[in-house]
Amino acid sequence: MQEDLLDILCCPLDKHDLELEATERDEEEILTGTLTCTECGEAYPIEDGIPNLLPPDMREESPA
Amino acid sequence: MTEESDDGEIPQLAEQRDVETVYQPAEDSKLLADAVVETIDPGLRVLDVGTGSGYLATRLRNETDADAVGVDLNPEACQQAFEAGVPVVRGDMFEAFRDEAFDVVVCNPPYLPTPPEQEWDDWMERALSGGEDGRAMVDPFLDGVGRVLADGGTAYLLLSTLTGPDEVRAYARERGLDSEIIAEESHPFEKLLVVRFRPGP
Repeated sequence: MQEDLLDILCCPLDKHDLELEATERDEEEILTGTLTCTECGEAYPIEDGIPNLLPPDMREESPA
Repeated sequence: MTEESDDGEIPQLAEQRDVETVYQPAEDSKLLADAVVETIDPGLRVLDVGTGSGYLATRLRNETDADAVGVDLNPEACQQAFEAGVPVVRGDMFEAFRDEAFDVVVCNPPYLPTPPEQEWDDWMERALSGGEDGRAMVDPFLDGVGRVLADGGTAYLLLSTLTGPDEVRAYARERGLDSEIIAEESHPFEKLLVVRFRPGP
């Protein structure tokens, strides 16, 4: 994800701001990292460039 | 697709469907993309809900210079959209987006009424099935879209006459959204509609 995506993203649980911690980047974007809610502290993973902002109870892979 | 097997049979849609886990663009996607591309101003902030392959977001980015972002529940859809160059978020519809973040929201939802015993078996079923009344995703879309639309913003949904468009539009009205059909296309058992919604006075 590109960093400016943060301008439109928020914590899905309480709609507060997210703080970015990037662990792997290329020239354009963040490939691996974490987005952490500045209010509730919930952490959301960024993997392969895609932030997973599903609430924790929906995070499993299954479609059901 | 023109691939044929050795005995000359063209693969059936049902067989192709078994190998796909992400809905691929079809007539409905194209109708929605054509209508929205023609209607919106260039350079807007756009959200494509249930972006799937990223087709609609890509066309809006290329043809209207939109800053279009996709969201999808399906991790494989997110991957495909990402590889197509669409900034994508794995998320539950509007939940991960700020208030008034978008000028335009578009969605080609699952809109076909589906008996409960067929539901939610796999990602493809989820991309196609609109629940018993066809509105399993449409109603939550209309419930939530107002929050993420900026002042003067508009939302576009692809619906079928099988989805009960009059009921959908009445439901939207109860949520303060005026609606207008801006494109339609007839098919053998249904008519596909592109409906525009905007917060009313």
